[in-house]
Amino acid sequence: MKMWQRSFLITLGLLVVFGATVYAQVPNAPVTEFPYTGNRTAVWIVAQLHILFAGFILGAPIFVVISEWLGYRKQDPRYDRLAKEVTKVTVILYSMTALTGGLFIFVLLATYPQFTTWLINHFFLIFAVIYPLLFIAETIVLYLYFYSWDAWKGEKKARHIALGVLLNLIGTVTLFVIDGPTSFMNTPSKAVEGISLADFIQTASLWDKIFNYSWLPLNFHRLVGNVTFGGFIAGLIAAYMYLGAKSESERSYYDWMGFVGNLIGVGALLFLPFMGYLLAYELCDYDASICPYMMADQLSMFFEMQGAMIGLIFLASNYYIWLSMKRIEGVERVRMSALTMLVMIALPFVMTYTWTIFPVPDPKSLGVLLPLVVAPMILSKVIPPLGRITVSSRTFIKVGFLMVVVGNAIWMTPHGFVATQALATEQLELPSDWGFLALMPAKNSAAFTLVFVTVMNYILYNRAIRQGTIVWGKIDFASQFVLIFLAFSAIWTMGLMGAVRSLLRKYFHTYNLMPDFTAESFTPTLSYSAWWITAITLVFYIVVSFAIVVTLRVADTKGHAPEAK
Amino acid sequence: MAEQPSLIKSVIKKGIIGIIVGAILVGTARALAFPPVFQSVFFGYAMLGAAVFILLDAPSLKPIGGLKAIVALVAFYAVLSGVYIGGASFLPQYDPGDEKGKIEKLLKAKRAATEQGKAEELLTRTKALAERTDALMARLQAVGGAAVAEAPAGGDGAKPAGAPATGGDLVALGKEQWNLQECYNCHKLFGEGGKKRGPEMDNIGSLLKPEELKRKILDPQSWMAEGFEKEYEKKKMPDKYKELMEEKEVDALVAFLSTLKNTAVATPKPIKKK
Repeated sequence: MKMWQRSFLITLGLLVVFGATVYAQVPNAPVTEFPYTGNRTAVWIVAQLHILFAGFILGAPIFVVISEWLGYRKQDPRYDRLAKEVTKVTVILYSMTALTGGLFIFVLLATYPQFTTWLINHFFLIFAVIYPLLFIAETIVLYLYFYSWDAWKGEKKARHIALGVLLNLIGTVTLFVIDGPTSFMNTPSKAVEGISLADFIQTASLWDKIFNYSWLPLNFHRLVGNVTFGGFIAGLIAAYMYLGAKSESERSYYDWMGFVGNLIGVGALLFLPFMGYLLAYELCDYDASICPYMMADQLSMFFEMQGAMIGLIFLASNYYIWLSMKRIEGVERVRMSALTMLVMIALPFVMTYTWTIFPVPDPKSLGVLLPLVVAPMILSKVIPPLGRITVSSRTFIKVGFLMVVVGNAIWMTPHGFVATQALATEQLELPSDWGFLALMPAKNSAAFTLVFVTVMNYILYNRAIRQGTIVWGKIDFASQFVLIFLAFSAIWTMGLMGAVRSLLRKYFHTYNLMPDFTAESFTPTLSYSAWWITAITLVFYIVVSFAIVVTLRVADTKGHAPEAK
Repeated sequence: MAEQPSLIKSVIKKGIIGIIVGAILVGTARALAFPPVFQSVFFGYAMLGAAVFILLDAPSLKPIGGLKAIVALVAFYAVLSGVYIGGASFLPQYDPGDEKGKIEKLLKAKRAATEQGKAEELLTRTKALAERTDALMARLQAVGGAAVAEAPAGGDGAKPAGAPATGGDLVALGKEQWNLQECYNCHKLFGEGGKKRGPEMDNIGSLLKPEELKRKILDPQSWMAEGFEKEYEKKKMPDKYKELMEEKEVDALVAFLSTLKNTAVATPKPIKKK
């Protein structure tokens, strides 16, 4: 796509946003009825697509600048090539973000005119001034960053990296700004005593409305989620290119790129369960009735599905490490302490027990868990023969996989296999003595186990590459499908959790403040949601695949970075 | 890495191990009184473990390219989509029908207060009046003028609109509010509901007067249940009912709660805080 075509699309998107803002001022606009999907699902589809594109264009630049900086610091041109290729795809998807963003506002106005007008009026400064200005600034900096790539190299590289940092700063501010209205819809600022919520919101300042209960946790969650997403999409790009590679050097490069993309994706993924927990904690703190709705009633099976997805993502990311290890020559010499393996095995059980007795954030729990984690290091120093008991890397990783399955099992054990507690019977519920398996201490220990095993596997991988030699381009071909699987599953999970966050508003457009009087304001079934989440994921995938093929496969491959070493 | 066994041998060996481990898990779960659904799930985890280990030792996949790679990709996406939709559909599904009626009742008063609601109400009344007129006309035509005198003022015997609810009605309406507002999520009553987030309510009518109950609902910080200091400090009871409920709904809920006087249940003593 040419520069003028991209600019045209972005201008069109901005025009729609401005037009929508003006349109919102027209009273009593007629309501449109979407056939087949209904209005709510129509908004859901467009909003989710927009968030996916936006998530990528905000997450990828973080990943890109880190990569460019690494290339500059290590003087390794592969990082620079990776950064540039991901930026090429980002530029195309940037246009799609603008387009779907405009479409989102347009559909919202057509289907829920009263609510949209109300929301725009409450955040007028954001929708009419701040957000468009940030978008324009981001567009200018993104194109400047992309088109100055070749001109600002060598001594000017630092200047180019600084431009990338500026792009990320603007992107992050944009995310934080738009999270204001989004989080407000879930947790509108609480009224001061003696004033009704509706009256308080009428007189509240813009900052009061933005700085609500879930704003900061949502910012952190989305920021980390976007980096994860950016990393996995970089892995997807690498997988596509690897599948179509014609030469050994291409395969070698894209094998390396896939590994780096996955490393960043998994690195950020490790923080994601805790960011999600923080967001859920704040939502429950805002209104305790949100918690049972999420965990025990209407949305409980959505979280069961989320547990399955997270489990699969962790299994796949560790399987990728396993496949990566297989192509390291000399990996059989790498060994790990048996004590560390024992800690890995004991962790979920000890953690569940400790956190049940001393619930988080009780510092006493650290009194048990910290010594457990550092025990291998201390014991091997105090009793050296113990430190010399080792296991092979193969055994260590296999035991790690066993613990990932155990962690998944704990994460996915619900209080009852029922869609809502009202339907619970003895035949479907955990025995009372085992009820703790469905509580937060057990879920937290499961999340820690998944993270701990993954970190241990990367430590092992790091040892392996120091002791052996990586043969880039010789990775098991199945690994490319693992990268594709990770990207697909990450997007699907984003779609699922996006639906959950929206549904948490129950029968309100803005929780407790602006009721949704339409016939669609009920909780849809998980099955219905899964169909739409899959459809949205596939549409996003088709567009991204097209962008990758157009920008990278069709592009001239001359002048690429030297082969991987 | 070590030499890999053949795929078939690996599948058989690990499949058998998976079945044995699964059987041990099922036996243990049964001995510990886990219901059958959990026993099946534990067996499923054992088989998932076996599948993971089969995958770990599977021989390397040969590279493919061109059209074969595209077909493999499309098939892969189709399988993933099918598995995710199938997996989500396999889990228990919440019936939206349960919620629809509830939401309609919850929003009835708020909807009526909007311009659209008023218009809808007017239309409904007009429609009902028209239907009643038609019915009366039909009866007049069929039996003559005497039938008009026999027709009751309320038509089908329904209570006239706007008539105050009797005591029994109010308690029943209050019980309905208990369910609509999902108080049972935190408070146990008649041995049902509650997850120890809030006190058991069976004897609350003996401990608080109606006006005190009303105060507690509208301002949760006004009273604290003994033994629930942590929950009180964390403001676990939502401060939203003054926004969400109409005055008559609160009164109905209070009327219902005031009838709860089962001294056999140890409802914690309320402590006045404001």
